[in-house]
Amino acid sequence: MKTNNKIPEGNPFKVPENYFEEVNRKIISASTGGSLPEKHRSARMPLRQYLAIAASVAVLALLSYTGIKLFPRHGESLSLKRIPSEMYSEELVNDIDLIVLEEKAISFDIPEEGQHVANQDIIDYLINENIDINDIYEQL
Amino acid sequence: MNNIRPDGDIFILLETDLNKGFRLVVERYSTRLYWHIRRLVILHEDADDALQNTFVNAWRNISGFRSESSLYTWLYAIATNEALALINRRARNAAVSLDDLGSFFANSIEGTTWFDGDEAQVKLQNAILQLPEKQRIVFNLKYYDDMTYEDMSKVLKTSVGALKASYHHAVKKIENFLSGH
Repeated sequence: MKTNNKIPEGNPFKVPENYFEEVNRKIISASTGGSLPEKHRSARMPLRQYLAIAASVAVLALLSYTGIKLFPRHGESLSLKRIPSEMYSEELVNDIDLIVLEEKAISFDIPEEGQHVANQDIIDYLINENIDINDIYEQL
Repeated sequence: MNNIRPDGDIFILLETDLNKGFRLVVERYSTRLYWHIRRLVILHEDADDALQNTFVNAWRNISGFRSESSLYTWLYAIATNEALALINRRARNAAVSLDDLGSFFANSIEGTTWFDGDEAQVKLQNAILQLPEKQRIVFNLKYYDDMTYEDMSKVLKTSVGALKASYHHAVKKIENFLSGH
């Protein structure tokens, strides 16, 4: 013990008689004998620890359940094919603002002049595409 | 490291016969580890629990222990961790905040069976219990165990300079406490 004039010396703590012999024997038999002291595992476990364990189990169960639901099993791919088309078409279309969709469609109108194509141009196109001349004639 | 026999004989025995080697570890260190723990947890029953847990942990990890390290500081580190874990459990169970632990333990001293100090000793223990946790450990290791700062640095994973300052502050606080009461 480091001495200091202002600080009293000595050990005020006591132990039961033969404590160290007994605890040494207990520790040695528990460890090298292959078993660990049981009292340190369960005897004084308070309610709070039981609750913590129960909460942990509940969280693990929830995570396992959501994991099964959200992620495909091994060897199983996640694709839209597994969802009926009538289900997702309704679901997805309902999420789109139809007014916005209509406005977008109008803005893609073909210009007026594009609708008038000369007959000669049509004939040239069809000839280039190796269409039978009789079929072309019938179309005219 | 004062009054500690070299642990070479233990290392040799641990390699040749693990059980016998560990028995020697327990016989050599249980008393000093008990007192170190006891000064931190105050109650004999708690010190007994923490001491047994210390050796249970040491036994579980002894095969991975490297002889280049000091067995002495390794065991003190385990014992300190066990004592602190027990203090935290005790504080939680008694719904005491860590700041009020000093007063909580001071009250425990007066009620414990295994305390036989005079008035001056009670005052000293109360003064030590008013210290912050780390300072309390540093003071105990230096004052009672006479541990070198280098060894303490390995036990507490703190720099030697910080430990010296911590001990200095602890002594001043204790002296002030004793002179004021």
